[in-house]
Amino acid sequence: MLEITLFYVAATVALVATVLAMTRTNAIHALIYLIVSLLAVAVIFFLIGAPFAAALEIVIYAGAIMVLFVFVIMMLNLGEKGDQQERQWLLPKIWAGPALLAAVLFAELLYVISTVEGPVSTTAVSAKEVGLALFGPYVLAVEIASMLLLAGLVGSFHLGRRYLERDGFDDGSEK
Amino acid sequence: MNAQLMMALMPILMLSLTAVVLMIQASVKRDQSVAWVITALGLLLALWGAGYARGFTQPVTVLLMVDDWGLFFTTLILVAALVTLILSKHTFSSEGERKEEYYLLLVLSVLGAVVLIQSSHMVSLLLGMELMGVALYAMIAFPEKGQRPLEAAIKYLVLSACASVILLYGFALIYAATGELSYAGIGLKASIAYDQNPILLMAGTAMVLAGIGFKLSVVPFHMWTPDVYEGAPTPVTGFLATVSKGAVFVALTRFFVEGQLYEYQSLMTALAAVAIASMLIGNWLALRQENIKRLLAYSSIAHFGYLLVVLIALSYGGAEAGLIRESITFYLAAYILTTLAAFAVVASIAGEDERKNNIASFDGLFWRRPIQASSLTVAMLSFAGIPLTAGFIGKFYVISVGIQSQLWWLITALIIGSAIGIYYYLRIIFAMTMSAGSSADMSANDEGKDQKNIAQDASVSSQDVLAMLLLTIVLLLGTWPQPFIEFAGRL
Repeated sequence: MLEITLFYVAATVALVATVLAMTRTNAIHALIYLIVSLLAVAVIFFLIGAPFAAALEIVIYAGAIMVLFVFVIMMLNLGEKGDQQERQWLLPKIWAGPALLAAVLFAELLYVISTVEGPVSTTAVSAKEVGLALFGPYVLAVEIASMLLLAGLVGSFHLGRRYLERDGFDDGSEK
Repeated sequence: MNAQLMMALMPILMLSLTAVVLMIQASVKRDQSVAWVITALGLLLALWGAGYARGFTQPVTVLLMVDDWGLFFTTLILVAALVTLILSKHTFSSEGERKEEYYLLLVLSVLGAVVLIQSSHMVSLLLGMELMGVALYAMIAFPEKGQRPLEAAIKYLVLSACASVILLYGFALIYAATGELSYAGIGLKASIAYDQNPILLMAGTAMVLAGIGFKLSVVPFHMWTPDVYEGAPTPVTGFLATVSKGAVFVALTRFFVEGQLYEYQSLMTALAAVAIASMLIGNWLALRQENIKRLLAYSSIAHFGYLLVVLIALSYGGAEAGLIRESITFYLAAYILTTLAAFAVVASIAGEDERKNNIASFDGLFWRRPIQASSLTVAMLSFAGIPLTAGFIGKFYVISVGIQSQLWWLITALIIGSAIGIYYYLRIIFAMTMSAGSSADMSANDEGKDQKNIAQDASVSSQDVLAMLLLTIVLLLGTWPQPFIEFAGRL
């Protein structure tokens, strides 16, 4: 019973925080809400028996990636101008149509999910089991994911370089 | 992972090796032409690997399925990548860019496509699709000058990310319904899951189809296609149209056949609606296009509508499963080769000048560049499905499968679509045959430029050789298809 209460509390926090993350005009405020939402999702992971996924969610998403986001936004220094632009983008006439369509889909999904019976019992999956699965049957997935990261890295390096060079930085290679 | 499994993975291993060698080469000394040679050698090695792996067909872990069918498409996609590589050699050259990254991204994207083709599990489907996509975003935005490529890349990135999210949600719902992630596992448990809770399975599959439909740019999900086709550098557009779409269709076929999803009537009705809309709207919107890349974009929408007809025929049981597989093999091969031929010509005519993609700049091409013009003519005839070209045999397959399964609505849409298609395909051929005099309104400045271009083209004869080669293959598949049909039947 306690678990169910905790689950609903965490789920409510996650939903509210996500909605707030979407509607804030200040980018930093939105990000803080996004971090709260990710933390709430981590609690849910923990409750359904995936402590390792919960830890990763906090360490990687709420920790590393979000901190990176915060740094980038601070460096861009959007300030009041960014707020105004966001406010312009958040006019009801812009989001009303898509929101209505999304609401229809959301209602359908709620119905679909309401037809599912929840898991009867949950067993905790330890970090060791995750590791055994990743480097056992799914070892190819790990390798392909590494290539995926390489592609992302090389792509962002190339796209970012043109701005570095324009500002007088050089990556040290020949021209 | 024993030696047998490694042998089966030979094409993937060779591509990964090429990526590593390219990185080492770039860190030692940056040199475009060395990187080009390494990439070409790597792709050739992977081609050899695809042939070598035929002796070791087997499932490799739960993620990949190495079989003859997949290896054939691997070969085809490697050929398409080689053509892209040859076309890329002369693009962006004037901008003095370092292209080592481009070649690396090309190899990684091909690697993603090969994984996608051989995937037998949702994890490998997603990873392959993302690897191919992430490398493609950067390839589309590769030219440093101009806003167009960047704009196209952002559009593709944002919409593609949305599609991936929907795909993932679909996977989650299917997993909730069946408790399986491998195609075969889904196939085993789908009917039980459907009896227990039909909505869950159908909602999940519909979301997966929406995600895949985005990559194939079939009609409700087609909005990005013309802008991305137009904005991307021409060789990359050719790559997107052949490698990316071809690999995704192969993956869709595997998912459908092994997951036995063709048994559900409501899904097939939805797919039929998508196919009809793609055939009609794709062809309809292509009619008024002045830019040849946009025209080819709309035409590709229609072609994937035709291909879906074959997939839909699976559920009606009128045609044998073997014939359906053979039709998909033939149509997709013909489509990929024809598209390559078309983009090879567009890339060599327009070069880096994106303004030269208008149909008007193809006026009188027969008198200026006869080899390129004949290659484009054959490509257009093949797209339209005129006899003696590969496209005709492909369309013949689609129609015969459709008639055997009595899909009259789809056949009607196909015929109307093809009839509209003939108009705009022939329009390009007509423009090319116009005499040089009728394009006399070209300014003197322009003609001077053209002459300079012709002088340049004399040295760049590799593009003519490529055009001739692709023209011969497309014609050969259309005039003497028997060996290939027998080959496709054995796959």
